[in-house]
Amino acid sequence: MTIQENKKSTFYKVGRRHFEYRIIPKVNNVWNRTRFPFTKRHFLKWRGVYNINGLKRERLLKDKMPLWWLIGLSLVLFVTPNLSPQLIGVSSIFCIYSSINILWTLIVGTAGIFSFATLAVLGVSGYIAAAANVYMDIPWPYMFLIGAFTGFIFGTILAAPSTRLDGLYYALLTIGIAEICRVFVLQLRVLAPQNGSITKVDSFIPDKYFLQPEGMIIGFYASFLLLLFCLLIWRLINSERLGLLLRTAKNSREDEAFAEAIGIDFRRARLWVFIISSSALGFVGAFYAMYFKSISPTIFSIDQLMILFAMMVIGGIGRAEGAVVGAAIVTFIDKGLIELGPIRIIIIAIIMLVVTIFAREGITGARKQFRIFRLRKSGERRALRTEKNGEVMPEEATEIFDKQEIYYRRFNKRLRDNLKKIITPELIEEHKKNPTGNHSDSLARVLNFFRRADTADKYALKKIKKTNSKNVYQVIAFSGIKTHPPRIVDDKEYSELSEALHAVFILRVNDLLES
Amino acid sequence: MIDLSLLPYALNLAAIYALMAISISMIWSSIGMLNLAHGATFAVSGYAAWNLSIIFKPIILSIFGKTLIAKLLMGFVLISSAMVAGAMFGLIIYLLAFLPIHDKPNYPVRSLIITLAINIATIQILLFMFGARNKGLPKIFGFGKFEIFEIPIRYDQAGTIISTIIILGLMLSWLKFSRMGIEIRAMMQNPEGAAYSGISRRTTAIPVLMITGALAGVSAALLSQTIFVSPTSGSIPLIKGLTIALLGGLGNVPGAMIGAVLIGFLEAIVGSIQQRYVMFSTFIFIIIVLIIRPRGIGGLLDDTRE
Repeated sequence: MTIQENKKSTFYKVGRRHFEYRIIPKVNNVWNRTRFPFTKRHFLKWRGVYNINGLKRERLLKDKMPLWWLIGLSLVLFVTPNLSPQLIGVSSIFCIYSSINILWTLIVGTAGIFSFATLAVLGVSGYIAAAANVYMDIPWPYMFLIGAFTGFIFGTILAAPSTRLDGLYYALLTIGIAEICRVFVLQLRVLAPQNGSITKVDSFIPDKYFLQPEGMIIGFYASFLLLLFCLLIWRLINSERLGLLLRTAKNSREDEAFAEAIGIDFRRARLWVFIISSSALGFVGAFYAMYFKSISPTIFSIDQLMILFAMMVIGGIGRAEGAVVGAAIVTFIDKGLIELGPIRIIIIAIIMLVVTIFAREGITGARKQFRIFRLRKSGERRALRTEKNGEVMPEEATEIFDKQEIYYRRFNKRLRDNLKKIITPELIEEHKKNPTGNHSDSLARVLNFFRRADTADKYALKKIKKTNSKNVYQVIAFSGIKTHPPRIVDDKEYSELSEALHAVFILRVNDLLES
Repeated sequence: MIDLSLLPYALNLAAIYALMAISISMIWSSIGMLNLAHGATFAVSGYAAWNLSIIFKPIILSIFGKTLIAKLLMGFVLISSAMVAGAMFGLIIYLLAFLPIHDKPNYPVRSLIITLAINIATIQILLFMFGARNKGLPKIFGFGKFEIFEIPIRYDQAGTIISTIIILGLMLSWLKFSRMGIEIRAMMQNPEGAAYSGISRRTTAIPVLMITGALAGVSAALLSQTIFVSPTSGSIPLIKGLTIALLGGLGNVPGAMIGAVLIGFLEAIVGSIQQRYVMFSTFIFIIIVLIIRPRGIGGLLDDTRE
């Protein structure tokens, strides 16, 4: 009989524990974690925990993102050299765009400055570095320095109004600056014969290999190194002190006020992030000019900016992985499927639209959003199939540390269910006749339950002396909180004590039936 | 001495910019969306007017010949078709960029991104369907010019200025006196208060987006008297409208009008010297204004409200 019953009932997996992979270490093993040289940081975020059931030792990986980064980056690194030259080119451009996007994410996400001058900084530094190389014969390794320095100067100039202007106004200002740069470059008389572009820039790709398979491979490795460099900058800014300071003042005006109150100069931190990222963008600008061996005014155009913005949006604004994933998708469609013609821009726009309608934070935020959605749905389904009534649900039970509490609430619920059954009009009539003494068994049970309740759930009687020396009673309820006086339940006054006692009984019965 | 013949040209530009800027400003302040698909609305209604004019031109010519009635009818067909197309496109924007996400987190940025995507996709689809060649709309106001106080004014300039004044006047009085207009203004002034007095954001957004779409249609039909219809014809008016809306202080109709007149004159003057520096000078001007007044010309109101 019992076996059959077991077969009928369905068991639901509850809690989130079965989603987590845990390593069970050997008992006497001394646990060593390797550290980055010269720092106290570990490679992976391992945490030693004890399983609540049985207190077994377990090892838990709290943050799995580094593993995903390792898999993704090594895929790019090892797959690309085996591809066709055209796809190697696409992969290199992906690396360059990801680098730009990561630096832009630092400005938009970490610093929270809505700047569209990314490509303007990049272009100006690229132009100056390329001009230094072509017209002043400065060898190419110095171009990086010149680019970074230009980015630093330009970033400092751009950062000045960012604290003064509101988000949208600053975005407009930066778009305007990009346009001004484009017009300025186009009207330079020196560059007029080449339509504003600088060509024949010297670079790390030797001239005889340029646009050859060997040159493509060199270009790819260089841009991969650039990507790693930008990820390092991301890590150093976003996850270290500056990022920590800025995270305090990230979300709203109130957060900013709070940060200010505890002594964080978040404006200064924002400026620093902006200036550092701009310098790095200048570095990337020099790289860009070298990689293509030329630089043209299209880098300042709004279309180019929109493609980069689409990457950030599709991946998810404010995350490094979003910048890289978005760059991978958009670069593949834009540069890899070039035979599709203008349709590919439509495809990018439609992806952008769909992602933005359905995902709150781009593709990389979809997982978190899905988890929240799943939790809500499972809660809704559970609410449909169970009746809670004060009892602890299995999902809640995993969160409550004191298991005694769970059993007490379950007991209490069942007790109340039983008491509700024995409350009848006859029982109430019996109490009305004789509130104080000699109760029947069922009435005694109900009254016992009432006596055990918390103070906050109880009522009392207040005796009021009237002028004609006759006592009346009023029902009051305790607040249950110290120093908070009891409140008067209603304005009824009872002249007999037994009447008042019965009124309290009726109130308690009502509370019980409603619970 | 500034050439006085610049005056009608400047007013012409100012009229079109005012139409765009006021729509963008209105959408922003009432439903909190920065509508970057406004340029697409502009282009789509231009193409709708062009298509319908091709269909109706022979019919009207065969019935009325070359009379004044035919001209008026042609103008009516052009403007009304552009308005209807603009309003329909506004409805599409409502369905894609407002309805699914208006109560979701991060709505302002997401709606901006969606409208941007709509803009890009529409421009490419128009390119795909009609090709990159410019299309000329039939001239409603005809060719020729007349003189007032020795200032020569072309018919299309005069027509644009006058019809813009009429349409804006109609729309502003509709906003001022009609029930729906009062609802929209309530949302522009205080969205929360409007919600408490039972004005639904979801239903009020429909007329807002349709009316502003129709305005974009009108400005497309009017501007196409001067320039041609092309897939990207909306992007310059969009950028101008956006910058002027920001210059005037977002959500501020008088500010947008002042901004439009200022930028119109600036462009007319700079354009008469060297066409290439128009954008350049506009942005420099806007940057200077923004540095002096970080919330635009009419932005003081926002500060005091907060």
